[in-house]
Amino acid sequence: MNLQEFLAMEETRDRERDELIDLRGLDLISEYDSHLMCPICHCPFVEPVRLQCDHVFCASCLSSAITTFRSADSEEFPCPSCRNPVQTVSANVPRLLINMCDEIRVRCPLIAEGCEEIIPRGHVQSHVEKYCGYRLVPCPDASCDQVTRSKDVGMDQKCIHTVRRCSRCEGDVLEQEYEEHEKELCPVLEVTCSDCQTVLSRGALAEHVETCTEVAIPCAASKYACPVKIRRADIATHEQSCPLVATGPYFEAQNARLNSLELSVRHLQQRNEIFEDGIANIRSTLGESARIAASAHGGAQATQTGREQQATRAESNTDDPADIAASIFSSNATTYLLSLHESLREEVSQLSHAITDLDARASMAIMNESMRIKEDMAHTNAALNSVRMQVQWLINPRLHQGTRGAVRTNTSNEEPSAAGPSQSSAQSLGHLRPRRSSDSGREGTKL
Amino acid sequence: MGSIKRISKELSELTESPPDGITVELADESNLYEWKISMEGPERSPYHNGIFHVKLSLPTEYPFKPPTVSFVTKIYHPNITNDDKGSMCLGMLRADEWKPSSKIAAVLEFARQLLAEPMPDDAVEGRIAEQYKNDNGRYEEVAREWTRKYAGASQ
Repeated sequence: MNLQEFLAMEETRDRERDELIDLRGLDLISEYDSHLMCPICHCPFVEPVRLQCDHVFCASCLSSAITTFRSADSEEFPCPSCRNPVQTVSANVPRLLINMCDEIRVRCPLIAEGCEEIIPRGHVQSHVEKYCGYRLVPCPDASCDQVTRSKDVGMDQKCIHTVRRCSRCEGDVLEQEYEEHEKELCPVLEVTCSDCQTVLSRGALAEHVETCTEVAIPCAASKYACPVKIRRADIATHEQSCPLVATGPYFEAQNARLNSLELSVRHLQQRNEIFEDGIANIRSTLGESARIAASAHGGAQATQTGREQQATRAESNTDDPADIAASIFSSNATTYLLSLHESLREEVSQLSHAITDLDARASMAIMNESMRIKEDMAHTNAALNSVRMQVQWLINPRLHQGTRGAVRTNTSNEEPSAAGPSQSSAQSLGHLRPRRSSDSGREGTKL
Repeated sequence: MGSIKRISKELSELTESPPDGITVELADESNLYEWKISMEGPERSPYHNGIFHVKLSLPTEYPFKPPTVSFVTKIYHPNITNDDKGSMCLGMLRADEWKPSSKIAAVLEFARQLLAEPMPDDAVEGRIAEQYKNDNGRYEEVAREWTRKYAGASQ
């Protein structure tokens, strides 16, 4: 057939295909030869057709290839494999090829519904349509709109979605499950107790097993390792003689005691932990304060506090841990105060040291200053004396003149020209002798 | 859609048994038509030790239309455009030479083969092709440098 015919045929077949199973979507189980694979869809051929160039494709793949490759209704198109121009398509494919493709084993597509069959691909369509019990079909009853698995539809074509009342147990059961219920689950159904062979209804079985004299039950002392497991009827006689049953109450009491002891041990552990924490805290503060004390005022004080601590320890040695902790804490407070006191004392002494130092320095400075002033004063005195001497020396001739004049008048009056001028000058010099500079200097220092 | 089935089949084959030096994954899990490929530079080529990221886009008409291959990683190669697209266009990838029977695995192997053996007569970058033919030493040097720069292991 030519391309146009082929396309037309494919179009009609395409519509039919909607109803069929898609063979390309199947789960392939067996390996197949790669030559059976369509080069277009990469699946084993589905309805293969052959071209002039002997290349084979699925009919549907070829039709889409033609529509894609053919240029505007031309009579030919390039082969998708060899690109040779092709005018006609032949459905005449070797039987061998088709059979090999149909032989490939696949899983039933209704695996989701529960069918686990593996069938040759060629049979899938008929399997699903006719044989697969898991195909969903509409309920045979026209008034019911539910679907059911085809295997559940019975010969009588009844709707299986109605609720049916069990004739024996009066319970409501779905028609679908009725058969199973009737055969196995109905509580009214009679069963035989496996131990005492009594026949009774299924519903009462559980209760019966609780009381059945034939059922083997373990000895009451089984939790104390009594291995005996015998019929309920005989268990009483066994329990009378069983030594473990006799000692049972003793074990119970021991267990209770153990439990209470465990509980109290746990309590004590907790308390102990709390105390240990407290002691650790105290120890750390103690260490700190001891260090402060040591750095503050040397060994003497430290030994003193040490002694104190020893004393407090000795005192509280026999008391319980809480008391020891308390006493250690109080002694700790005293040592702390003592150390504080000691450091204050240290500071005070340092201050007094500083003050004396300052005092010494101040007096030294004052002394220095006064010495200088004294020296200055001595200089000034000396200068004053020299000035006085000069003044004396200047004044002296004048005085001398004055006395000479007086003497002159005297001599002129009493012994005229008795004494020469040199004599009188010598006399005046004699008067002046005590006015020597050295004397005046001595007088100055006396000042 | 026949193409989706075929593409997913080829993808699962490629991820299960990838060709030498090629790893394949989807750029976006929900889009079967965009693939992200890492290609190791072939030995004895200046691209050795480089990892090249390649984008492969499939047309919706696949397998009737060819996929397009472009190098995201810059590469100095006569057959790969030296622009942002890094497109590679030759041989089986040309629309008029493409056959629906060609597989993506074959395309990728072809691309890797092209790294090992450039085809300067079919070049898109004439300058590089010229250099490849006349000054092969210099070409290899530049290609090696670009590989180190753009396709280093850190990328």
